[in-house]
Amino acid sequence: MFQIKILFLIFFSIAAFLCALFFGPKIILPWTLGDIEKEILLSIRLPRVIVAFLMGTALGVSGAVLQGILRNPLADPYVLGISSGASLVAALGILGGVTFLGNSTIPVLAFLGAMMSGGLVGMMGMRKGGLWPERLLLAGVGLSFLFSALLMLLLSISNDEGLRRALLWIFGDLSMSDWDRIPYGLIFILSGLALAMSRAKALNVLILGDELAHSLGFSPKRERLLLFISVGLMTAAAVSLGGMIGFIGLLMPHIMRFFFGADSRLLIPASALGGGSLLCIADLLSRSVLLPQEIPAGVVTAIIGAPYFLYVLRRKDVLSM
Amino acid sequence: MTLNHGSFAHTDEHCIEMKKCLVIICFIIGIAIPAFGEPAKRIVSLAPNITEILYALNVEDRIVGVTNFCDFPEAAKTKPRIGGMSNPSLEAVLSLKPDLVMVTTDGNARQFEERLRSLKMKTYVFRARHIADFPSELRSMGSLLGVSKKAEILARELETALAKRKSELSREQSMIQKKILFVIWPDPLIVAGSNTVINDAITMLGYENSAHRATSAYPKYSLEAVLQEPPDMIVIGKGHPDMKKLSEGILQRLSFVPAAKNGAVCYVSDNLYRLGPRVINGIEELEACFK
Repeated sequence: MFQIKILFLIFFSIAAFLCALFFGPKIILPWTLGDIEKEILLSIRLPRVIVAFLMGTALGVSGAVLQGILRNPLADPYVLGISSGASLVAALGILGGVTFLGNSTIPVLAFLGAMMSGGLVGMMGMRKGGLWPERLLLAGVGLSFLFSALLMLLLSISNDEGLRRALLWIFGDLSMSDWDRIPYGLIFILSGLALAMSRAKALNVLILGDELAHSLGFSPKRERLLLFISVGLMTAAAVSLGGMIGFIGLLMPHIMRFFFGADSRLLIPASALGGGSLLCIADLLSRSVLLPQEIPAGVVTAIIGAPYFLYVLRRKDVLSM
Repeated sequence: MTLNHGSFAHTDEHCIEMKKCLVIICFIIGIAIPAFGEPAKRIVSLAPNITEILYALNVEDRIVGVTNFCDFPEAAKTKPRIGGMSNPSLEAVLSLKPDLVMVTTDGNARQFEERLRSLKMKTYVFRARHIADFPSELRSMGSLLGVSKKAEILARELETALAKRKSELSREQSMIQKKILFVIWPDPLIVAGSNTVINDAITMLGYENSAHRATSAYPKYSLEAVLQEPPDMIVIGKGHPDMKKLSEGILQRLSFVPAAKNGAVCYVSDNLYRLGPRVINGIEELEACFK
């Protein structure tokens, strides 16, 4: 039964990816390619679809892992203050006139900011040589508020219209996805994913409680730290690829738990595929329905995802982890 | 006869009463006119375009407060600030003791204007959104501020400029409409849509705004749409001191579009961003792009 479900999910992901690639404002079929179609397909759509899939994967997995290590069904990758740190550092960089990397300046700054705030949250959540779930969560919420407030302050005292526009992408924007950002995103997200997968068994045990984990031969401190690092890597990369896109990190793991159960060894890859496909579809809709305008992909993920989640919620107690 | 007489007498009485009334009314008006009709002396402007117009009408010495965004002309930056356009500080406005607050329907909150009126503050609402409505709005501002002559000159100037373009256009009507994409911000790509002063200027010059189908004023625009309906000219407005550098990325991504490939890219100022006296310069700038 599981094999069928997994096969179905893999098939669904591939279909979502291909739909997002060939459908859109204009349906492009691979066997009737003109010059313009080729250009649209290869230099606009393909990088965009890859970025969407990568981001969705990173968010889905981060959510699944984070809900486990924090033992909290409401944890979402952005709760750790990673995204607000990213936008704050990006804003400071833009205001300070930093342009050393040309077009990649803002994503690189955002990545640095994300890693920095992830590190800060980790340090504050650390006590007696280990990460404490409650401390981690509260430190994340606190820092997140502080960074957002500082960003608001910057925006309200600065009269630079450019700054507002330059920060628009942080609220979720895939329209500028380009090939040159993909390798970095790929490296960080895949290494985060690999780390999470390799510690999946430990994650299962962590959910049961630290004492039990200890008695089963796992070091809760070490495992939680490793898993936290994997979440940090993936979320930071996702934010620098396309800003903040809500819903996926919070609710995709719950939807997948409904189908595949709470075993992290299955839940992590399932959340990866589910998150990736959902963002591909959401982005397809966001660039197609209001042509020639684009609507933020995060809006679409929530509009199609939330009703489905609520439906699932009525049918089964998905919140049990 | 008596009846007639009586009626005459009655009419006479009536006349005298009427005269009395008239005298009283005149007296009241005589007192009231200077109080009502005296042009405002302490003006707070809640929009950058209004500030620019006030400067153009040479009443800048009457401005006592402007928004944080009022940056043109340079001297406007030295006026006391009352906050942003969408979030002005009511206290700051009141503490300047204005006798007129000028607001616009394009950027100020209606509630703020209502609040001001409920506090017995006199307001003027600038309603024009398009170049075509601008001259008449200028005139009514002029008459309110007691500078009708200057306003008339500015309005005429604008109308002449518009009429000239119109007559030139009707002569060249056979020409194929060229498409312009007006970029407001390159990353993410934001362009000028149909309900903007920029769109007015583009159509007035006989061109077509590539993004005219977008429903919002400044939409986030689809790159695919640019490729599928390539513009003949890409105009990049000024939203940052170094737009050339900022736009490198988008031009590279659009290198498949003939305009970007052949360098049909024109950098202009922010003249058309506000419905103010600089729209004429903005139109000229846009015109120069094709020469």
